[in-house]
Amino acid sequence: MKLITMLLAASSMWATTVLADPPPGYPFVDFDAGLKAARADGKPIFLYFGRYGCAWCDHTNKKTFSDAGLKKLYSENYALVYVDAESGKRLTLPSGERITEAELGARLQAFATPLFVYMTPQGDKIMQIPGFKTVQDFRDYDRYVRGGHYKQKTLLEFLGGKS
Amino acid sequence: MRIAALLLAVLAWPAQAGWEWSEPLTVNSVQGAAIFPHLESANRRGVAVSGDTVGVVWEDNRDGSPQCYLALKPADEGFQPEIRLSQADCYEPVVVGLGAGRFVAAWEEAGKVHAQLLPDGSALKLSDAEAAQVTLAVGSNTIYAAWAEQAGRFRRIVVAQLAVKADALSMETAQPVEAGLPIDEQGWPALAVAGDGSVTVAWEDRRARHTVPMVSHSRDGRSFAPPARLADQRSGSVDGLGAGIGSMRPTLAAWGERGVVAVWLDKRDFLSGYDVYAAFDTGTRRFGKNVRVQDNFGDNMAQWHALVVGDAGGRLVALWDDARDGTPDVWLSEWDDEAFGDDVAVPGAAGPGAQSDPVATLDVAGALHVVWLDRDEAAGTRVRYARAVRR
Repeated sequence: MKLITMLLAASSMWATTVLADPPPGYPFVDFDAGLKAARADGKPIFLYFGRYGCAWCDHTNKKTFSDAGLKKLYSENYALVYVDAESGKRLTLPSGERITEAELGARLQAFATPLFVYMTPQGDKIMQIPGFKTVQDFRDYDRYVRGGHYKQKTLLEFLGGKS
Repeated sequence: MRIAALLLAVLAWPAQAGWEWSEPLTVNSVQGAAIFPHLESANRRGVAVSGDTVGVVWEDNRDGSPQCYLALKPADEGFQPEIRLSQADCYEPVVVGLGAGRFVAAWEEAGKVHAQLLPDGSALKLSDAEAAQVTLAVGSNTIYAAWAEQAGRFRRIVVAQLAVKADALSMETAQPVEAGLPIDEQGWPALAVAGDGSVTVAWEDRRARHTVPMVSHSRDGRSFAPPARLADQRSGSVDGLGAGIGSMRPTLAAWGERGVVAVWLDKRDFLSGYDVYAAFDTGTRRFGKNVRVQDNFGDNMAQWHALVVGDAGGRLVALWDDARDGTPDVWLSEWDDEAFGDDVAVPGAAGPGAQSDPVATLDVAGALHVVWLDRDEAAGTRVRYARAVRR
């Protein structure tokens, strides 16, 4: 009986290990906490819009976000926000409107996960990037965002001009 | 030029021939740039008809916190000023008609679910535990409610029978669809009472470690069959990655003599956002092959806020919004006994600006009542209503 209970508990823990949650070791928080932290710290927001069970999210976590340097770069310089694409959990937009996490997908017209959204510390969208990306891609996006290049150039113009 | 206009008119004719629409009316009497109405609810049951009266429920923050409202529209009149249903933070209200101008509304308030007989009646708390995402259905002289209720670490689906006695609403029974504690999250239940009185409940279920629409049936509304999947495309991890495709927000409608139809958002084509899919239970209490609802012009576009409405006469209409024309518009597609027809934009809920989040119902005469959000950042969002009859 004890063994069965332990097995049930173990399987229950395994079942709640969300495959497409944010990558391990990163300080991702929910939208409201991330927006509050970004405003307080003056850091841009990196929003990971993922889906429960999403294979490409899992792939990105394992292939890209496992990079120790990327983890340090993003953990230190961004307010990291994770949003579950199908969740009914509520969040508050910078406008004050309260919507569900799933509704954020409709507002972003998200067509695929993962979707990565860069925002100013005030919560204004800078750009959104869908799909699997490499470590180098995220390093380039970081230079574009934190370097303030988005104020003068499109991402394509910026990337076209990189050495 | 005239020939081109004539050609366009001819091409547009099949799409517009089905329904004759009334001029849209505004439902909410208070609007503003910082007031945000929402029509989100489990099974998207935000409008109902009772006798000649139309009832619409929604949530907005005009009073400084999210509260739920009901507006009634008597026959041949506009909407009366809305009444507030809630006292504390309120979300995702639904409404059903009982006939003779009476309604039952239900909503989440302060983390519990409540229901109320309207226009006169007091609120009844349906759940003791934390609960949300309540929905209602009426059939065979019985009112059913379903919601997602905390049970251990996760929420599970509970179905209740409600009764009206001496102008008061009471709860007769309430039990979970499955007796055991859930092993992952369940939510967003949809209910339908078929013509034979049997109850179908569908919901989002994460036990397979991705979101799958599940369904169960009950002959008596008390004892439910083991859940089955609505989605007929089995999926799993790909090369050891992930767990399966996404899907969300199942909706149900009773249809024909004994049938039930399900419509939900499905991401089996994962590069074009959610598509609208449907499945039919013709009375066998088994849902068959899945059918894609939207036409090819909506194929490369994400669909949102899908729902289905049906009636005993066999009418069946699916609605949703998408931005295929550049901005969100409300679309509908009608079942023609073999397939869903061409997508038709709802007049008044299409064109410049954002029109989205449809809720709808068919009345006993077969008229279609549609409510949607017309979003304007500067002037504020209007809750809009229109009625359509078959030509």
